[in-house]
Amino acid sequence: MRINLAILLGFLTLLISTHSIAVPVIQHWKTDNGANVYFVPTNGLPILDAQLVFDAGSTRDAGKNGVAALTSALLDQGAAGQSAQQVAEKLESVGAHMGVSTSRDFTSISYRSLTDDEALKTSWGVLNDVLNKPDFPAVDFAREKKRTLLGIKKRQESPATLAQLALYREIYNHHPYANAIQGVEETVSALEVVDLKQFYQQYYVANNLTVVLVGGVTQEQAKKMVQELVGSLPAGKKASLLPEVNADIEGKTIHQEYPSQQTHLMYSLPVLKQNDPDYFPLYVGNHILGGSGFSSRIVKEIREERGLAYSAYSYFRPMRQKGPFLIGLQTRNEKVSEASTAVKQTLKTFIQHGPTDEELTAAKKNIMGGFALKLDSNKKLLANVVGIVTSGVPLDYLNSYTQKVAAVTQEQIMQAFQQRVKMSSMVMVTVGQSVEQKTNVD
Amino acid sequence: MRKLSAAVFVINIIYSLNSFASPDIQPNIVHEKVLKNGLKVLVKEDRRAPVMVSQIWYKVGASYEHDGITGLSHVLEHMMFQGTDNLEPGEFSKIIAENGGRENAFTGADYTAYFQTMEASRLEVSMKLEAERMHKLKLQEKEFVKELQVVMEERRMRTEDKPQGQTYEYFKALAYTSSPYRNPIIGWMQDLEDMQVTDLAAWYKQWYSPNNATLVIVGDVDKEQVFSLAEQYFGAIPAAVFKPVKNRIEVPQLGIRRSIVKQKAKVPYLLMGYKVPVLNSVDDDADIYALEVLSGILSGGNSARLASNIIRGSQVASSASAGYDMNARLPTLFLFDGSPAQGYTAKQLEEALLDQVKQLQTNLVEEKELSRIKAQVIASSVYEKDSNFYQGMQLGMLETVGVGWQKADEYVDKVKGVTAKQLRDVAKKYLIEDHLTVVHMQPEETSNAN
Repeated sequence: MRINLAILLGFLTLLISTHSIAVPVIQHWKTDNGANVYFVPTNGLPILDAQLVFDAGSTRDAGKNGVAALTSALLDQGAAGQSAQQVAEKLESVGAHMGVSTSRDFTSISYRSLTDDEALKTSWGVLNDVLNKPDFPAVDFAREKKRTLLGIKKRQESPATLAQLALYREIYNHHPYANAIQGVEETVSALEVVDLKQFYQQYYVANNLTVVLVGGVTQEQAKKMVQELVGSLPAGKKASLLPEVNADIEGKTIHQEYPSQQTHLMYSLPVLKQNDPDYFPLYVGNHILGGSGFSSRIVKEIREERGLAYSAYSYFRPMRQKGPFLIGLQTRNEKVSEASTAVKQTLKTFIQHGPTDEELTAAKKNIMGGFALKLDSNKKLLANVVGIVTSGVPLDYLNSYTQKVAAVTQEQIMQAFQQRVKMSSMVMVTVGQSVEQKTNVD
Repeated sequence: MRKLSAAVFVINIIYSLNSFASPDIQPNIVHEKVLKNGLKVLVKEDRRAPVMVSQIWYKVGASYEHDGITGLSHVLEHMMFQGTDNLEPGEFSKIIAENGGRENAFTGADYTAYFQTMEASRLEVSMKLEAERMHKLKLQEKEFVKELQVVMEERRMRTEDKPQGQTYEYFKALAYTSSPYRNPIIGWMQDLEDMQVTDLAAWYKQWYSPNNATLVIVGDVDKEQVFSLAEQYFGAIPAAVFKPVKNRIEVPQLGIRRSIVKQKAKVPYLLMGYKVPVLNSVDDDADIYALEVLSGILSGGNSARLASNIIRGSQVASSASAGYDMNARLPTLFLFDGSPAQGYTAKQLEEALLDQVKQLQTNLVEEKELSRIKAQVIASSVYEKDSNFYQGMQLGMLETVGVGWQKADEYVDKVKGVTAKQLRDVAKKYLIEDHLTVVHMQPEETSNAN
């Protein structure tokens, strides 16, 4: 996209000649009642994207596990005296989209509309009602609760979902991250409308809100629209800091029996907070270890050498508190032992010796050479800006992104992995059928 | 799809009116050139970002296969990354990665496509590599044996261990009699077990040639430069003589088909499908656009009928959707799927869906309801311009299934022209019981309870 006021970044690279890429300048202001607003104007398409991010993820459930997710699901199910049907009709009559999602850290409302007057006015009005005046009607509450309960039941059909739930329970133990985002049957069954209303009143407040806008409107327009949207939200209080994660856990292996043909394997521990000083060495290192598909070691070892899995990967997921480093794969039941040994050996070797020079060079070429692809649509731009502003990195983060990647050394990667990825603390979860193992002996 | 994300093995078809240009907003200019060897090159310049996507589409896929060789197109797609005369296994991917690119491939019933997304100046890298594997693939036994294991794992993940995925497989096999759409794209497990590397060699020779392919480039590129690079790298590849694919039109269905599929599942699931024509199978396309809008009336958003009437209204369904792929190569199914709400059965959900069909056959859709669907189509046609990949995908797919990429331009206007009366007429004409297939997926634990 062509971006106004963009800084041209002429980075010198040791590896490749890259075109100058326009990095967006993120404009920032605060509303009187305390909401942080970030805006990137774009040219080219008559589209406005917005995301409203509340620090109101499932970690705020406080014993009522599932309340954050259900609250967000109810927002557009009746607002300002209009029924769910009326809300949907209004929004869709101008072709606009709205969606809500709850993660462990956040609840987000996302929005997309055309920028002509009628579309913008109508859809922004709907967003306004949904945000400021959700009604939480009893009948809609009962229905959405039932649907959530059925979704919880359906989790039992998926060995992949079961493995992830078991893993989070284990590595986060008593921390709120341990809980399933949608809750469990007992906690969701116990929820009442009043729980949702209370949750809404406490967390859907200006001081707890970040607004991000990307698209074809002027700053003046954006300011006016945001004021109209969030100006009358109560200031409220910012959500408290989350408790620290105890990452000093004892490694273990947990198996859950499930009648599937494949065993899903996850191997993990909590590592990375947002805006962590080790981010770049860990990110580039993981790119080589298991984050870049066919070029990565885990895919080579598990898939290309041994034909053990269709998908094998590793990632760091930075969260408010330490998010997981996770290696995952799924293989036919009789091969899980071979796969698990290969995964552990691959990780161990990588931690001990780090990447080769050749691997590091190739990873940098890929990440830096692909930088433009991170920003080539309004959708991706929005996702990047949301990531930047909710993680607390500087707003000009993208300007120095490629330099930071370029500066990562083999030493730094080895050191960061040795300090942060302790295999003695890692938990392995397998979900599948226990069968006699068939292992190829080399 | 060979990597980590799925695109083509979709079972819960979500309504998307796949639309295109909205001429009053931005001209939708596509440049076409056909090389002497028959390779068709399509270029769409989009200069919003210094990037490009390059896609090459082959007219081959699961619907070109016959019994006993199902899954061949998809396994061949995997093998296209496993070495050529001049590239070691995996080297293709390595070169793309070192040039900052993202790449993948996908196989559908009607096409096999390969793509690279890269910074725009890297176009030549992708062309050179794609040209190489168009005619110099080196199929090696060792790589084949390993890759076949990978595909079997893919199948276990997508089908054997996914109750709804497996149900959809049985559903298609019941609904179609002579149409090749009855077979799964990934292939039956037995066929995978029986597959030989020589089968792949024959399949490659039969379908991979410039005169059976379309190259689509979208992004910050100059059309003349694209054409000249295409000439440079693909121009010397000889055209192949190949036999046209057999028609294999589905025989008429002569009565409702029903079946039960038991699964290790917790929640019941229902699939229903009516036999319907597609753009590629008709001369007069009026019915096709009406069916497209009809799927929107049922399932196009939260205000559409299924959400409104049976998820919220009667609350019989916990989830329900309708879908129709007008761009299939062969006549297809107008699909419904869903799960009953707690306390309701799949049978009750089926009755509720049939009641929705009956209403469409009896009463005219309100003008307000119709215009809401059209507004969504028009908006989507703008939203889609936010993605080079999607724009390329539309052109490549239309061309490959035989409809022709030019149809893209007509989409919005044709949808706008659909009337309430046409909707009622197509509902009466096509959504009839004799052409219906119904499958109930029963969770195994409860299947013996009654």
